[in-house]
Amino acid sequence: MWGKSPVIKFLSTLLLFLTLEVISISFISSESIFQQAKISGVVIKLKSVMDGLASGVKYYFGLQNVNEMLVRENLRLLRENERLKAFTYTDVDSLSLKTPPSEDFSYIPAKIIANSTNKLHNYLILNKGRVHGVRKDMGVISAVGVVGVISAVSDKYSYVISFLNINQSVSAMIKSSGTFGPMIWEGRRSDYAMLKEIPYHIDFMVGDTVVTSGFSSMFPPDVPLGTIRKSSVTKGSYNNIQVKLFQNFNSLHYVNIVVNNNKDELDFIQRGSNGSVR
Amino acid sequence: MGRSGNIILFISFVITQIVLSSLIDFGPLLFISVYPLFLLTRPANTSLNSLLLWAFAMGMVVDYFTNSIMGINSAAALVMTLFQVRILRLVSRKGELDTQSRPGLRELGLIRFGVYILSALLIHHTAISLAESFGVTHFIYNLPRMLISLFVNTLIILLIEFGLFYKNWR
Repeated sequence: MWGKSPVIKFLSTLLLFLTLEVISISFISSESIFQQAKISGVVIKLKSVMDGLASGVKYYFGLQNVNEMLVRENLRLLRENERLKAFTYTDVDSLSLKTPPSEDFSYIPAKIIANSTNKLHNYLILNKGRVHGVRKDMGVISAVGVVGVISAVSDKYSYVISFLNINQSVSAMIKSSGTFGPMIWEGRRSDYAMLKEIPYHIDFMVGDTVVTSGFSSMFPPDVPLGTIRKSSVTKGSYNNIQVKLFQNFNSLHYVNIVVNNNKDELDFIQRGSNGSVR
Repeated sequence: MGRSGNIILFISFVITQIVLSSLIDFGPLLFISVYPLFLLTRPANTSLNSLLLWAFAMGMVVDYFTNSIMGINSAAALVMTLFQVRILRLVSRKGELDTQSRPGLRELGLIRFGVYILSALLIHHTAISLAESFGVTHFIYNLPRMLISLFVNTLIILLIEFGLFYKNWR
């Protein structure tokens, strides 16, 4: 039965042909230097292509580790940055330097498990929870923007209300002038947000950078958010500024949860505020 | 034709090939290749596997005795054999060749036999030129030699077929 199968017959013929052809070509290459050089050239080329493919595949599968390494490195740099900032704000005085400066913010790296971007009330779920030190109302940032605010926490996971939520706002600041106002997402495109209540007389230019103001216990100052795209005047005295966000929410995989080390103290002082502007 | 008949024919073609290629010498512009006639006129019921084995053996023996690069004729003959069944199917009419018959000049007629030989030799000569040059650049320089050889070898093969195997010529 197998002997009559056309597929087997075809394969056996092909195998025979290839075997005999390889024998012939190996004879040719061993006989003539010209052919030998040509064949070894082809073999080297083939080998380099195969090696390139193999290293590409290896690189692709190693990206997970590279990402995790970058997250750790990023976190280390953030901590370092906070530590240096604390030094800067401390009076340069031999007495004050005797006590170590306090760091306002520390960070917990987290991986995104779920992320929605196509709703008006988008959310994220992170793989860090109560046991890792995550608490409700902590901010979540990435290297290029604000991601959201922790809304609920379980032991191992936390639920984040995304910045892409029409009820969410962030206190933002035009870096060049230092003018601040609430930045909100208007529920249309995930790469644009609106910086509101900027007084009419304030000068700014298209392309100016917008960062977090730092007037919030959730987010550290100077986290880059985006650049000014265009503006329109409302109520005759305010500018509404459209901001192109740096953050691409669709390709977000790793974030940092912001831990404000002075939160309890700040909350105590701020008690009574409505918390609408974060 | 029995097995011994095939072997005698095989040896005869090898001798013819050796004699003709030593007699006809036009330098690098021409190479003589008449042994493909042996492979192309194997009976229609010969399996492709045995055709490949015949081609390999013929090519190797020819290479050995004609002082060409060892393996070059066998590589080319194998490629030609791979296509010869298809070409034969294209040039012959349905039911024309019974399983035992030899696809020769008498069975196919001059034009269809000529097309069969020319097509098969074109593949064979292209394979030889490619094996010699191992690339397109040298292949282009080899083109005149290949075309002249194709023309001369087709003519010689047709003459051999007409003189030795075509029995009804009178």
